[in-house]
Amino acid sequence: MNFPGRLYRRLAQAFPHEFKMSFGDEMLLAGEEATRRLARQRGIAGFFLLLSDIAMRLPVEYFAEIRQDMRYAVRALLKSPAFALVGIASMGLGIGLTTDIYSSGWSMLMRTIPGTVNPSRLVTPDAPVSYPYIEQFHEQKKLFAGVAAVENGVQFNIGVPGRSRTKPERVLGQIVSPDYFSVLGVVAARGRVLSLELDKPGNAPVVVISDRFWRSRLNTDPDIIGQSIRVNGQLATIVGITPRKFDGALSLNPAELFVPTTVPASLAPELRNDVVLSSVARDFLALIRLQPDVTSEQAEAALDGITRRLDKNDPTARPQTDHGKRVVLLGAGTRVPLPRQARTMVTGFYGALMAIVMAIACLNLATMLLARCANRRKELAIRLGVGASRFRLIRQMITEGILLSLIGGAAGFALAYCLWVLNLQVRQPAGTPPLPDLAVDWRAAIFAFGLSVVCGIGFSLVPAFQSTKTDVAPALKEGAALQLSGYNRFGFRNLAIGAQVAGALMLLLVTGFLVLGVLNGSNIHTRFNQNTMGFLSVDPVRDGYTPEQSHHFFDRLPERLRDSGRIPFFAFAAQPPFLSSDDDGIPIVADSSHVQQSLVRETVGAGYFSTLSESLVAGREFEEKDDRDPSGPSLTPLILNQKAARAFFADGNAIGERLHDQKRTYKVVGVVPDTRDAGGMSHPLAFLPLTERDFLRPPAGGITIIARSNSAVDALNAVREAVSSLDPNLTPFNVQTLSEYLDLSRYAMRSALRTFGGIGFFALLLSAIGLSGVTAYSVAQRRKEIGIRMVLGASKAQVLRLVLREGVALVAAGSLVGFLGATVVARILASLTTAFGDAFAVGTDDPRLLIGAPLLLAGMALLACYLPAHNATKLNPLQAFRQE
Amino acid sequence: MINSSVQTFLPLKPNWFHILLSLAGGEQHGYGIMQDVLEQTTGKVRLWPATLYGAIKRLIEAGLIEESDRRPAPEHDDARRRYYRLTSLGRLVLDAECERLHGLVRAIRATRKAVTE
Repeated sequence: MNFPGRLYRRLAQAFPHEFKMSFGDEMLLAGEEATRRLARQRGIAGFFLLLSDIAMRLPVEYFAEIRQDMRYAVRALLKSPAFALVGIASMGLGIGLTTDIYSSGWSMLMRTIPGTVNPSRLVTPDAPVSYPYIEQFHEQKKLFAGVAAVENGVQFNIGVPGRSRTKPERVLGQIVSPDYFSVLGVVAARGRVLSLELDKPGNAPVVVISDRFWRSRLNTDPDIIGQSIRVNGQLATIVGITPRKFDGALSLNPAELFVPTTVPASLAPELRNDVVLSSVARDFLALIRLQPDVTSEQAEAALDGITRRLDKNDPTARPQTDHGKRVVLLGAGTRVPLPRQARTMVTGFYGALMAIVMAIACLNLATMLLARCANRRKELAIRLGVGASRFRLIRQMITEGILLSLIGGAAGFALAYCLWVLNLQVRQPAGTPPLPDLAVDWRAAIFAFGLSVVCGIGFSLVPAFQSTKTDVAPALKEGAALQLSGYNRFGFRNLAIGAQVAGALMLLLVTGFLVLGVLNGSNIHTRFNQNTMGFLSVDPVRDGYTPEQSHHFFDRLPERLRDSGRIPFFAFAAQPPFLSSDDDGIPIVADSSHVQQSLVRETVGAGYFSTLSESLVAGREFEEKDDRDPSGPSLTPLILNQKAARAFFADGNAIGERLHDQKRTYKVVGVVPDTRDAGGMSHPLAFLPLTERDFLRPPAGGITIIARSNSAVDALNAVREAVSSLDPNLTPFNVQTLSEYLDLSRYAMRSALRTFGGIGFFALLLSAIGLSGVTAYSVAQRRKEIGIRMVLGASKAQVLRLVLREGVALVAAGSLVGFLGATVVARILASLTTAFGDAFAVGTDDPRLLIGAPLLLAGMALLACYLPAHNATKLNPLQAFRQE
Repeated sequence: MINSSVQTFLPLKPNWFHILLSLAGGEQHGYGIMQDVLEQTTGKVRLWPATLYGAIKRLIEAGLIEESDRRPAPEHDDARRRYYRLTSLGRLVLDAECERLHGLVRAIRATRKAVTE
């Protein structure tokens, strides 16, 4: 036979089985006859038409079959609504949770910055450098297509002239080099972005605002380009608006304002002291775009060399004898720059979380399909008997699985959407930085759809193969109920249930460890009523004052506060109390013991600890003369907390000891008790006194005035009055009570808790559904056996025991595995990040959890087994027999 | 009742119409139908095998045609062939379709007459 003939035959054989049974032979015959004639009449063109016809009909026929399968599946599901409901519920829960995890965690980490071109080529060194470094990086034209400088998380006082709302607002922004947007590849939605040609030092100050800023603070004013706003008291022209959803690079909190490094320091105090020229002011992150064929490793090596060379001139840098790596590159194309190792860990964590939830849901589906197939054995046997192909039946059952999981997927997507809306309602205490856009969107929908199809196919395969293996004859003879396949201890069903219990317990324990750990950790114990403290910040320099005026203000303020008579306790500090810091601090060496220790530093003023009602363990706290005296270059007074004191000096007796770092020498004047920060952690801390410099040029967050009185609101009002009596034009900012502040700092943890707690709970629910489904199945299978036993005089209790025995064994085995698994996972997670470590350290020791979680699970599992078992005891033996 | 079920098939798909028309002349096997249609339309409509049998399958499912058990004399027969014939419903549907087409043709003629006069 010629080639087209053979091809035709092949295609004809690929048609669906049923079609071939009816028309296969004829189609071959017709094909043969047609090819003979066509060769004569039309030549090649005829063959082409013949073959294209059959090739086009092939998918059409299959589609028709699938449609028929679907219709049949819908009918089958409608006939057993309980089964359908449970299947849909468990798939819905599983897919909903997974989608929620995906869209909240996963995609926040993985999504690239909107509006950028080719974001995978963007990288950033993990540590900030000074501006001259970035200029040196810039010289490497062969390696880098562009290098921009970014100073992150800068707060600006914004006033819009001519608006009724005259109170300035504080917004988060970035100070960026003018080529920032061209490195990112971001173009303006309106106006222009910053550029090296147009934005030169000495030009009139300009800013670019984010789309979010334009919409939320400027009422989407269409004529805003070219108008001026006040930034830190100085006028600046708005030249452009960024594209929608662009919230700045390298920044987790959305940046709303982009100020070029070319503006005068009066507009952005961060730029004073000529930081752009200073090689020691490590204020900037380098945002680098790699040349197309340059690898991240090459870039890292080159940057390392440059940094090492430049570090020679910087006395504060690591010594040259230190041969460690100086530069680690992170990908900068996503919202959260993550080092590669952390990336694998974080994706691993979320991936594992999603996999466990999905595995539990899918095992549910699989065991239920299996159970159902056993009940349909007779139907299947009949269909096989009258000539249906096994493949056809398997396809039919897979279609049912897909249908179930698709409906489940739709339900799950709805669930994820509800969770998202709920989260929106709960979140956002006043003053939180605006959340990045993390909607449950089409990506999540595609994700949920893909997941349901894959799981639907994957987890109906085993049941389908297993149940179509039926021996036709006995199944037809004996009916549905009596085909007792012997009890198989390691059968798929038992393994599935055991795995499910283990997985659920693991999730419950791991999430429980986290929840308890964080809850315990976040309770800050203070010696005073937390509702009586409030604090606010002022920054005269940022409000447009000279350093001298600022100094003068802070000189007179304590007197005013005391004179008001309403504030018994107050203190100044460079940061709010209980600040949770995530960096490791700066190394300090003790002169006598030579111990080196990294300490987080806080800068506080006189009377700080008495305001916090903390009595010192030893020594004294700072006094006003520590504040005012620049205390010479030699000795800066220093207070350690107990943790730090013990780290340096074994006996903890630190008073009078000397410490030094690269810049200064310190003398320990006091030791204070350890306190937890707002995140629940307790670090070794060093407290430095506020000095002249801080009052002349307040730090980035301004000077915080902490006040305690009868009530926080009273205290705050008194401070505000005192400030405005000195100068009505000063704007206090970050005005908050301690309890508000603590709520705010714990809110990220809390929302994580809600998520994790929810996942643990739903996992439990899922496995309970699965267990009860399987027990019900095994009861259904043994109806006849149970009936015989009852007729022979078995008591209800005996029947109950019979049914429960299997369930109990499974739950016990699963619990053991889950318990061990959870301990291992907790260890692994704790070793990976310190944040988890502290929480796990508290959580894993908690007897409530260690005993409570398995008990809770066992209780729910037994209840899930008990209900069908109890039903079995109510079985009427006569009915069980009559079923045949 | 029958009338309404007939109406649901109208207008008939062209392929279905040609197949029914071919079977109106008597029982026929698949390849024969293909040839008939080719002749009826003077070579303009060729039903390729896969299309033809797809249509036959659906016509059988719709109850418009059925398989016939009468076979020709053994010397003309091929065991692989199957013969089809119209059902009574199929005949009704074909008549209704012819009537519908006839009505269309009348309407077109009337319009043309009105235009030329």
